[in-house]
Amino acid sequence: MNERIRLMFAEAVDMKLEELSNGEMTIQVAYIAPMCEEKMIADFIFVPFAKREQPYREQLRTIVEYKVADDVAKWRDLLLRGNALIEADGIVYSLYAARIICNESPQTQVESAIQGPQLALSEDLTKSLNLIRSMYQSADLSVEEHTIGSVSKTPIMVVFDQRRVDPTILDNVRTKITTIHVEMVNAAGELDKLLIGKRKHLFPTVLITERPDRISKAIAKGKVVILMKSSMFAIILPATFFDFMHAVEDHYEAFWMTRFLIFLRYTSILLTITLPALYISIVSYNPELFRVQLAFSIAGSRSAVPYPSFIEVFIMLFMIETLIEASIRLPRYIGSTATTVGGLILGQAAQQAGLVSSIMIIVTSVVAIANFVIPVSSLSFAVRFLKYPLIIIAIFFGISGVAVGVFVYITYLCNLRSFGKPYFRIFGRLQPTEGDIGQVKLK
Amino acid sequence: MNRYFFYNFILVSFINLMLYVPHILMADRYRGAVQSLIIGAVIGTILLYLYTGALARYPGKGLPEILKMHLPKWISNSLISFFTFMWLYATSLAIIAFAIMINRFFNPDVHVSLILAMLVLACGYAATRSSLTVMFVIEIGLIVNAPIILFVLFKAGSNPHLNWDAIRVIANYVTKAPTLASTAAASFIFTGYINMSLFNRLMPPNSRFRHRWIYPLMGFVILLITFFVPIGIHGTETVGNYIYIWSITADSLLMQYGFIERVLFLFLIVYLNLTLVFTMSGWHQAMEFVKSMISNHKPEIDSEKTPLSNYVIVGVFIALTFVYLLLTNEKLNMLISTYWLIFRMFVEILLVIGIFILSRRRPRSA
Amino acid sequence: MRNVFCCVILLVTVCFLGGCGFKDIDKRFFVVATGIDKTDNEQKPYRITLQLALPSPKIEPGASKAQLETIDASSIAEGVRMLKSHVDKELDFGHCKIFLVGEELARSDYSGMLQWMRRRRDIQSVADIAVAKPDAQALLGVKPVSERYPGNTLFLSFGADGTDSPYTYVQPLSEFSKRAFEKGLDPLLPIIIPDSKESYIINRTALLNKNKIIMVLSPEETQLFAQLAESYPKSSVRGTYEDTQVVAAVSDIRSKYRMTTQGAKTVIAFKVKMSVVLEDAPENLYKQEWASIEKKLSEDYSRQAEELLRKIQQAGVDPFGFGLRYRANHHSNNPNEAYEKWLPIYPGADFKVNAKVNIEGTGLIQ
Repeated sequence: MNERIRLMFAEAVDMKLEELSNGEMTIQVAYIAPMCEEKMIADFIFVPFAKREQPYREQLRTIVEYKVADDVAKWRDLLLRGNALIEADGIVYSLYAARIICNESPQTQVESAIQGPQLALSEDLTKSLNLIRSMYQSADLSVEEHTIGSVSKTPIMVVFDQRRVDPTILDNVRTKITTIHVEMVNAAGELDKLLIGKRKHLFPTVLITERPDRISKAIAKGKVVILMKSSMFAIILPATFFDFMHAVEDHYEAFWMTRFLIFLRYTSILLTITLPALYISIVSYNPELFRVQLAFSIAGSRSAVPYPSFIEVFIMLFMIETLIEASIRLPRYIGSTATTVGGLILGQAAQQAGLVSSIMIIVTSVVAIANFVIPVSSLSFAVRFLKYPLIIIAIFFGISGVAVGVFVYITYLCNLRSFGKPYFRIFGRLQPTEGDIGQVKLK
Repeated sequence: MNRYFFYNFILVSFINLMLYVPHILMADRYRGAVQSLIIGAVIGTILLYLYTGALARYPGKGLPEILKMHLPKWISNSLISFFTFMWLYATSLAIIAFAIMINRFFNPDVHVSLILAMLVLACGYAATRSSLTVMFVIEIGLIVNAPIILFVLFKAGSNPHLNWDAIRVIANYVTKAPTLASTAAASFIFTGYINMSLFNRLMPPNSRFRHRWIYPLMGFVILLITFFVPIGIHGTETVGNYIYIWSITADSLLMQYGFIERVLFLFLIVYLNLTLVFTMSGWHQAMEFVKSMISNHKPEIDSEKTPLSNYVIVGVFIALTFVYLLLTNEKLNMLISTYWLIFRMFVEILLVIGIFILSRRRPRSA
Repeated sequence: MRNVFCCVILLVTVCFLGGCGFKDIDKRFFVVATGIDKTDNEQKPYRITLQLALPSPKIEPGASKAQLETIDASSIAEGVRMLKSHVDKELDFGHCKIFLVGEELARSDYSGMLQWMRRRRDIQSVADIAVAKPDAQALLGVKPVSERYPGNTLFLSFGADGTDSPYTYVQPLSEFSKRAFEKGLDPLLPIIIPDSKESYIINRTALLNKNKIIMVLSPEETQLFAQLAESYPKSSVRGTYEDTQVVAAVSDIRSKYRMTTQGAKTVIAFKVKMSVVLEDAPENLYKQEWASIEKKLSEDYSRQAEELLRKIQQAGVDPFGFGLRYRANHHSNNPNEAYEKWLPIYPGADFKVNAKVNIEGTGLIQ
């Protein structure tokens, strides 16, 4: 056996190919040392083989951990996944002894909730499944395993409630997964792009989350969850726009306050998209929209600014976008320096230098703050782009252009489908006696 | 799904302000407009009941499918091409009227055709989407805008300068016999049911039109507000010489404590949204009608990829709209739209009665 | 390749659009008040004065700076166009909330001015109109000390944000143009008089017919008119009781009238109900019977009101809208018929005012 394995693999020092003999019998053992738990290999193979308390031949036959691996073609995969191969008396057994390095029961970091579960998914699939199963204790929970990536061979798990899941979506997901042809998949975000299949999209159409409570809620709603090895994020699909505007805390906190927060979020998303464009169109096309006091004070503070309003907007937006980008990429210890420099010094100085008006500073900060109110970061990221097309159209058409632009965005959103389900649609309460529109497929 | 029918009805009844309906009514205020309001409401209500009653027997089927089922192909095709023109005309008229309005109030220095280009591109994009998408856009558009319109209507109705004597003076002319033009204009408010000609395709098999009494009631209230509130605010004489009567009425209102003081801007932006939604829905229907005339066409309500034919057809619509803008002016536009409203009323009466008779000849269980 | 093509298209469009109507706020001159006077020159009868705001980043009391531009022209539209060559920025009427009409112009003919204002798209229908005495140019030269930004004092004096004075009768453009054309309702305008170099007085009201000022109401009459016509609270009533003057603040007032025909005479009977709090009254009133004071006050009020009504009637103007009420009550087939019948009736009509004053209290002291 060892000879054949040696041929299969490239020269690697961490590949262990041993031949042992205890007088009674001779076995060959093969494993990749860093992938395996050395202690487990010692406990299961070397120690019992050397001690000879029980015939090792017997052990191999009776203990279930040893599985017969006849198919030579599968050896390579088994070894790469952390199995040890044992050949005794011409029969090859495999023993699962993988050592998985992962973060130990991590805290939620990306989507934190003040009250509610603090544990996030783990990078280890079994630990993640443990979390999900303990939250969703139902016999209907179905788990399927698939592999993606011709090189990375990343194991993924498709988890759903077999009674509640929409079969069309499940079929759709299965076919999508089997038809994906790539070499490497490392992050949930990558898988999400492969699943959607569209190259250019403005909005995320599947939800990526690290929260087990969000996942168990989604499973209960009949959605499909995809877990991925070595990624602490899961993919929930199909998702609607409203899922992205929804924080898990909305279920845990006082009713009216959470309704107000939801309203606040929609207001913020509207503001963060339209405010720079509205500033341009009001300042440069329809100043009569302001109250007269505001109009005069803007005119006064703008009179020192040498550039047209849109240059002013671009200067400020450039500054704020680079600031956000810098503080994400910087290590946490230096991050606060960037904000101080950017926020305090640049903002104030830009206005005093007569580069931007004081109202523009307010506009920029509202845009930035309102953007961070969106609870799911993938949407918050996507929304950051949306203001630029509106700015362009506002430069040429003013306020009517902004209204038309928002209309086009809404149409785009309504046109999106997440795995065949409408993405942006107010569902409302359906009469059980009546069907939903678009149910009938025309022949 | 009743609410989708409701959206279509409300959309059309709100959009009447864009289609010179108030202007036509005002012109006849001493000559029978008041009676026309009543007659128009009666006609509208009867047609609404007949049409919804007839369509309920054809769940999941649009007008082209129904016609094809009962009539020889050449008749149904010529009828459908005629309807295509009707839908196209109404919506293009609205969008042109609004382009002129934007040019008047928002961007006086930008040329009308440029503004129109922006509007039709947005509408064209929206109209080429699938029927289901169009329905969702209508829903969102109304949910966002209708409260603001109701607010403006309420604000106008509660204006301290509203003079009830002026309203009474005009209301007294109820004895005058109705005129054709204003009856047609008044009945337009109720014509939202006609959008179901296409959107009936989306209806699930077990859908019913319930609470139908709400529609005539709401339509009539909107009609009364449309007609009488401007009279109360501008008086019996001045009201006759405004072209954009409701824009001026909105401009006469002041939001003392609002972020935007002038109601006019709020009103115009909201109506811009509604006009876009209306044009989208009209063009989409016209487009689907054209497609249904192709002999081996299969109607689809939510296709994954937008077929190329959609872009071609809507591209032609856009070109036609531009040609119309170049050939007409504000005055001619108004005149043509008056004739169109009259024409539309008769066509609708014939269509509704025709479909109703066809539906009764069909066994209920089929 | 496709991307390059898109970029080229975009660039061409951008060049094509470049700067359509794009004008920054600091490149605009905001007109905050417009004055229109009559000159002696036959060729150029209009003198137009524009008050232009000079915006400053600091808004403090007294920091307001404004520039005045004056021109004589043959028409208002031409004058405004010529004034553009006097200033370095684009004139913007979007924030012009005050229009002042010189007294001389208002006494000769205001219709040309009104037509110009109604036609301009950027003049708001909610702008306030007032008569300036002696002329608008002089009045716009007044610089109030407390003004935070130009035109604010005038604007606040009219709006409900600032003072609520019963002597100031506000008249927005839409209301003025309604009254200027309505049959049976005549316009009225407040009169502004410069007090010194630094303030204004607005406490008189001019009553106009369809083209000029007919009579001017004194401050007391203005207040009385506001009470009768608009049920204006926050005003006062005065009378005498046992030879001492009594002044009472009105907390609530309801005024309505009925028009009846008694024989050949038309009687217009006002019913005024009000609740008052005494402000200036004889001492020890608290312990006395209030009914007699109430009765005396009511009688005084009725007498004053009847005097005012007759005075207005004799001048031949109808700011209350009696004619409109007559039209509303008397239906006629021809829109002019009722009005023509009314015209001879009005000078002979009889007025009766039935006032009912109810004293709520005597203020904080007995």
